Amino acid sequence: MFKELDPILHSQLRLAVVSLLIGVKEAEFTFIREKTNATAGNLSVQVQKLKEAGYIEVTKQFKDNYPQTTCKITPKGIEAFEAYVQALQQYLQVGKE
Amino acid sequence: MSNIDYQNDQDKSFSPEESLQLIQTMIRKTKDSVAVDSFYLLFWGWLVFVCCLVEYVLMVYYRYPHHSFVWGAMPIGGIITAIYSSRQARRQKSTTYIEEALSYLWIAIGISFFVMVVVNVVSEAWRTAFTYYILMYAIGTFVSGSLIRFKPLIIGGLLNFIIAAVSIKFNFAGQLLMGALAILISYIIPGHLLRIRYNTKKN
Repeated sequence: MFKELDPILHSQLRLAVVSLLIGVKEAEFTFIREKTNATAGNLSVQVQKLKEAGYIEVTKQFKDNYPQTTCKITPKGIEAFEAYVQALQQYLQVGKE
Repeated sequence: MSNIDYQNDQDKSFSPEESLQLIQTMIRKTKDSVAVDSFYLLFWGWLVFVCCLVEYVLMVYYRYPHHSFVWGAMPIGGIITAIYSSRQARRQKSTTYIEEALSYLWIAIGISFFVMVVVNVVSEAWRTAFTYYILMYAIGTFVSGSLIRFKPLIIGGLLNFIIAAVSIKFNFAGQLLMGALAILISYIIPGHLLRIRYNTKKN
């Protein structure tokens, strides 16, 4: 019985963003862009999709007169990530047999 | 990460192995970003070290009665640290849980120092003051070292527990030297080693 891989997470950039946010308390948009090497446009589209799914929280504020976007994973996002990793493990175990 | 082509983002066919590899890569990247700043260890280490020795010399060799004035440097140090950390916070683009834990730990220790000084002033219990200060250095450096997995800091912290116990045997002048020794072992030496490690990692 295969669990289906969560389509929201089974996309390279979105998975990269969620994996990054798993390890930190919060991160700025620019930090995520640096670490993922993605373009700003593509990244903001994927961040928006994650936000709509309720997996991450996005806060916009001003810091020294510059707009700043901060992302943070939600409990729902953590749950989804754990379920995704479990499903991955199933696939990999089957692959080994 | 440059080998990942996000343009194919709609392509759902990337394999579970690739997924797992991607997760590992990203988690490793956040691990590397734990910015441990040796500034605090070196700044406070050298400041307290010099104050201990200057007070010792003034007291023992010059018999100067107002030798404790050197500690006026502490509030100034506090202000410099506050300015520095607020500037750093502005530059920082992400916060890890370890960094958060470290900052709460040191805030608690900072408050403890303040409370202890008040207690010592009120009770005039200066002879044992450094025993408890050294205990605070021990807690701070041992926990920090364990959180960032940096052995010199852990060892320095553990040795400070011993120095704290031994220091109770000394008079105030002796305690000043104990304080200098404790801070050398737990702040200054690990601080410089941390800076060296950071610089070699960067290059």
